[in-house]
Amino acid sequence: MTMLSHAIFVLILPLVSAAIIALFLRRSGGAAAAVSTLTAAAIAVISVILALHNERFTASTEWMRLGGLVISLGFKFDDLAALMLVIVGIVGLCVHVFSLGYMHDDPAKARYFGGLSIFMFSMLGIVFADNLFMMFIFWELVGFSSYVLINHWHEKQSASDASKKAFIANRVGDFGFLLGIVMCYWLNGTVSLTELAAKGEAHTLVFSTLIPLFLFCGAVGKSAQLPLHVWLPDAMEGPTPVSALIHAATMVAAGIYMLCRINVLMVPAALDVIMWTGTATALYAALCAITQSDIKKVLAYSTLSQLGFMVAAFGLGSLSSTHLHGTEAHTVVIAAGVGAAMFHLTTHAFFKALMFLGSGSVIHGCHHEQDIFKMGGLRTRMPLTFWTFTIGVAAIIGFPYLAGFFSKDAILYLAFEKNSAVFALLALTAVLTSLYMVRLWKLTFLGTPRSDHASHAHEGGLTLTLPLVFLAVLSLVAGYTAFYPNVFSGVFEHIPEAHGSDHTIIFITSLGVMAVGASIGYFFYKSTPTDTLADKVPGLFAALSAFRNAFDGAYGYYVAKIQQRFALFVNFFEQIFLAGLIVRGLAGFVGLCGLGARALHVGNLNAYVYWFLFGLVALWLFATGVL
Amino acid sequence: MTSATLDHYVLISALLFAIGLFGVLLRRNTLVVFMCLELMLVASTLALVAFSRFNGTMDGNVFVFFILTVAAAEVAVGLAIIVALFRKRQTIQLNELNSLKN
Repeated sequence: MTMLSHAIFVLILPLVSAAIIALFLRRSGGAAAAVSTLTAAAIAVISVILALHNERFTASTEWMRLGGLVISLGFKFDDLAALMLVIVGIVGLCVHVFSLGYMHDDPAKARYFGGLSIFMFSMLGIVFADNLFMMFIFWELVGFSSYVLINHWHEKQSASDASKKAFIANRVGDFGFLLGIVMCYWLNGTVSLTELAAKGEAHTLVFSTLIPLFLFCGAVGKSAQLPLHVWLPDAMEGPTPVSALIHAATMVAAGIYMLCRINVLMVPAALDVIMWTGTATALYAALCAITQSDIKKVLAYSTLSQLGFMVAAFGLGSLSSTHLHGTEAHTVVIAAGVGAAMFHLTTHAFFKALMFLGSGSVIHGCHHEQDIFKMGGLRTRMPLTFWTFTIGVAAIIGFPYLAGFFSKDAILYLAFEKNSAVFALLALTAVLTSLYMVRLWKLTFLGTPRSDHASHAHEGGLTLTLPLVFLAVLSLVAGYTAFYPNVFSGVFEHIPEAHGSDHTIIFITSLGVMAVGASIGYFFYKSTPTDTLADKVPGLFAALSAFRNAFDGAYGYYVAKIQQRFALFVNFFEQIFLAGLIVRGLAGFVGLCGLGARALHVGNLNAYVYWFLFGLVALWLFATGVL
Repeated sequence: MTSATLDHYVLISALLFAIGLFGVLLRRNTLVVFMCLELMLVASTLALVAFSRFNGTMDGNVFVFFILTVAAAEVAVGLAIIVALFRKRQTIQLNELNSLKN
C-alpha cells in the first residue's frame, strides 16, 4: 500500500465505524464500544506509521464543478499535518480506552461511541484537508459531533442548553470563516492550500487584511477565543472523556492548526489583532479560573487560557513580517510563530488530556462529585491519579524540564523579542496559571476529605488508569524536541529558542512566575469547604466572578432585550405584510372571486344560456374592438 | 307580386333564429328547448342556402350538407339522452333538473 492509501484508509475507517454503530449496534453498547475503540487503536497505529514514514504528499480529486468554481477533496500531508495526526491519534486512543471504563454503565453507550467515531472522522478530515472548502466541511462536522457529545446526557436541561450554546457560538465564528473562504477565492482564484503556498512563493498572492481576519473568526469560534469563548466552559456538561478529547486536546486546537495552515495569507495588521485576541483570552480565562469550584470548569478556563497562549504565539511570531523587508526575514519570523504555537499545542494536548482524564478519574472515584470543595485527601485514596495529575499540573505551570516548561518558554521568548506588553501580560497569566492549578491540585488531593464521597473515593479500573500513565509519560518527555523523531522537523525547526543572556532572562522569569503563582496557590488556599479567597477578600472574589459573568450577561442582555425585541418588531411586520396582506390577502381575493363565480352557478339551464349569450356578446364586442 | 330577394330570406332566417333563441331562453321543457335549438340551426342553414343561391356559388350548399349531417347525429344523441333522462327522473322539466346545484 502506498502512503496515500494509508491516509485514505485512516480517514474512512472512523466513518465506517460510526456507520456500523449507527446502523447495526444501536442497542448493543458493548459491541459499539469495541468497534469504536479498535478503530481508534487502528487510527493511532496508522497515524504513527504515516508520520514516521518519511513520505510527504499532496493529492486531490475533483468533487464538484459549479461553473468556474471547482471544489475538490484532497490530502495535504506535510510535517504539520503529520504532527497533528499523531496528536489526534494518540489522544483519541487514550480517550477511547478511558471511555471504556468511564462510560461502562451508561445506557446510551452506543450513541456515545458512535459520536466519538464520527468526531475522529471529522477531525482527521480537518487535519488532511488540502483546501479551505474541504476544511470548512469537516469544520462543520466537528461542530456537529461536538454538539452530539456535549448533549450526550440530553435529559439534563443544562447539557442540552450547553450543546445549543456551543453550536450557535460556533456558527457565528464559522460564518466569518465562510466569508473568509469566499473572499480568498474571489481575490486569489483558489482555496487550495498548496496553490496558495505556491502563489505566496511566486509573490503573486493578493493580500487583504480582511481575508485572514475573517478566517480567524473561524478559529475564534472553534478555539473559543474572546469574545466567542462562552461556549467552552458550558461544554463541560458533556462526559469528561469528551471534554478531554474535544474540548481540550484536539477540536479546540483545530483553530490554531487552521491558522498555521493559512499563515501564507497573513498580514501584519491581522496578526496584531490575532496576537491581542490571544493575549486577552489568556489573561481573561486565567482570571476566571481562579474563582471556579467545579474541577472541570477550572480545567476548561485553563484550556481557554492556554489556547490564548497559542493564538498569541501565532500572532507574535509573525509580528515583524512586513512585506517591505524582503522575503528572507519574512518567512523565518512567520515560521517562529507557527513553531511556538504548534509546539505548545502538542505539549498542551498531552498534559491537558492527562488532567481532564485525571479529573474524570476523580469524578468517577467520587461518584460524580465535581465540586473541589467537597473533595480533598484523594492523595492516599487515589494514588495513581494523584501522581499522574501532579505531573500534569507540573507540566502546565511550567515546572522545569517538563513539557509545558519548554513550550511556554518558547512563547515567552517570542513575546520578549517582539512585544514587551504582551510579554508582561503572558507572564502575569503564567503566574495566575500556576496559582489556580496549584489551588485545584491542593483542594482536590491534599488535606482531609470534606464529603462522604471523597472519603470513600477509590481508584478506577485498568482502563481508567492506563491512559493516565501513558499520557503522564508523554507529559514528562513531550517538551524535549530531541524526543520526537526527525519527521516533524518542518514544524519543530521553527521553534524559537533563546540563547545566551536572553535564555537566562527567560529561564529566570519562567521560574519566578511559576514559583510565585504556585506559592500563592499553595500557601494562601486552605483545605476548607469554602473558597479562601471568598472568605478573606470577598470583594476581589465577587469582582472576579462578575468579570467572568460579564460576557454571558452581555450576551443574555443582547438576546433577551435587543434581539428578542427586534424579532418581535420584525414579527409584527411579518404578520401584517407577509402573512396578512400578501398571504391572507391573496387568498381572500381569490376566495372573493370564487364567491362571485359561485353566484353564477344557479342550477338553471336557462340562466346558463343567458350567461352564454352575454359571453358571446362580450366576445363580439371585443372582436369588433368596441371593448 | 315581386320576387323574393336575399333580404327576405335573411329576414326570415333571422326571425326563425330569434324564435329559436327565445324558445331556448324561455321554455322549460327540455324537448321544446331541443326543438328550438334545431330551429336555430335550420335558420342558419336557410341563410346559407340563400347566400349560396344569390352568390351563385356552391359554398353555402356544401356547408348545409355538413350541418345537416352533424345535426342528424346530434339529434340522435340528444333525443336518446332526453329519453334516458325521462326514464331516470320521470321529468324533463328544466327547473326540476337541478341536482348539481342542490
